[in-house]
Amino acid sequence: MKDASIDDLIDGLAGELTPVRPRRIVRGSLWVAAGWLAGAGMLLWLYGMRHDLAPGGMPPLSMLAFWLIAATGLAATWSALRMGLPGVGRDYSGWRWAGLAALSLPLAALVVGLGDSHAAMEAMRHGYGPRCLLQGALSGLGVGAALFAWLKAGAPTSPARAGWVIGLAAGASGATIVALHCADDGLIHIALWHGLAVVLSAIAGRLFLTPLLRW
Amino acid sequence: MSIDEPSLARLMAASQRGDRTAYRALLGDCRKWLERYFARRIAPHQIDDLVQETLVSMHRKLATWDSTRAFLPWLAAIARYRWIDALRRQRDEAELGDNDAAVGAEDEAVHARLSIDHLMTLLPPKQAQAITLVKIEGASIAEASRICGQSESLVKVNIHRGLKKLAELIESE
Repeated sequence: MKDASIDDLIDGLAGELTPVRPRRIVRGSLWVAAGWLAGAGMLLWLYGMRHDLAPGGMPPLSMLAFWLIAATGLAATWSALRMGLPGVGRDYSGWRWAGLAALSLPLAALVVGLGDSHAAMEAMRHGYGPRCLLQGALSGLGVGAALFAWLKAGAPTSPARAGWVIGLAAGASGATIVALHCADDGLIHIALWHGLAVVLSAIAGRLFLTPLLRW
Repeated sequence: MSIDEPSLARLMAASQRGDRTAYRALLGDCRKWLERYFARRIAPHQIDDLVQETLVSMHRKLATWDSTRAFLPWLAAIARYRWIDALRRQRDEAELGDNDAAVGAEDEAVHARLSIDHLMTLLPPKQAQAITLVKIEGASIAEASRICGQSESLVKVNIHRGLKKLAELIESE
């Protein structure tokens, strides 16, 4: 009985086969790049770019923070793209290492804050801190949407992990975009408000995207 | 006929181009491979359903196989996903107290036990015992409760938590 039903299923599936275009990571990467450009274009068009972006103009600390967050975003994006093409034994963990490296930002900020509580209080009190957080989270939506569309059409075998990684990639992308606009070079400001955009995006990805990624 | 990786990869590449004959042959080979794969992982009477679900998933996700990579790891990833999904469904049924007795040939049941036994060693003993009694040996919740010396609700909780943990363990492989 069961044998016959599996045979029927196989006949049915074979009967409805149409050619498919294999999914390529390169194509997904282009979607993500377009998402980042859309987010960056929108934010910088609305609020403008910081004036010292020319080589040698940006303070070293801000530059370091930018590349640290960018590396996290790139690693998370790469992991998310790979998750769309499943395979037992494939390693998707690159984002964890980049994320761990990026933790050096809040740790350094904590040390600075403990040594200079006045600077820490100032960074937390600035009115534009929450604005940076909101801008970071919103600017990353383009990358988040591109990765979500990629994985929705793909086959992520761990939707929970995929949700985290999409959120992390989107948040980190948004934080890199905000860094092109925000002129505050304080370590505490960057770690707190730009970093919070990454953390909150990752949590949102896990909470809201995971159920939608099941297949 | 043996199921070898290069043949499967060739059939899959042809299937992606729309070759129905190759696809029918591929699905037939995958069916045999999946029956063996699930035989060591789930109760015998659930194997056919899981094979069918996996073939349908494979059909829906045909475009996600990258022809520069091996085919069987791709198929195994889809099969594992469907297996975890089945474990989750069992977990949800456990909350309702459903009894899911294993039936079928003794040999198959033994094979199913082998792999599950390994995973059980990674669970807390009370959870492993509850799952073994109810989900593998087919005892009712009431019987398991008497054997374990736990209340019926505690048996259900242990099955629920154990299956959740089991799914996480497989997923993190």
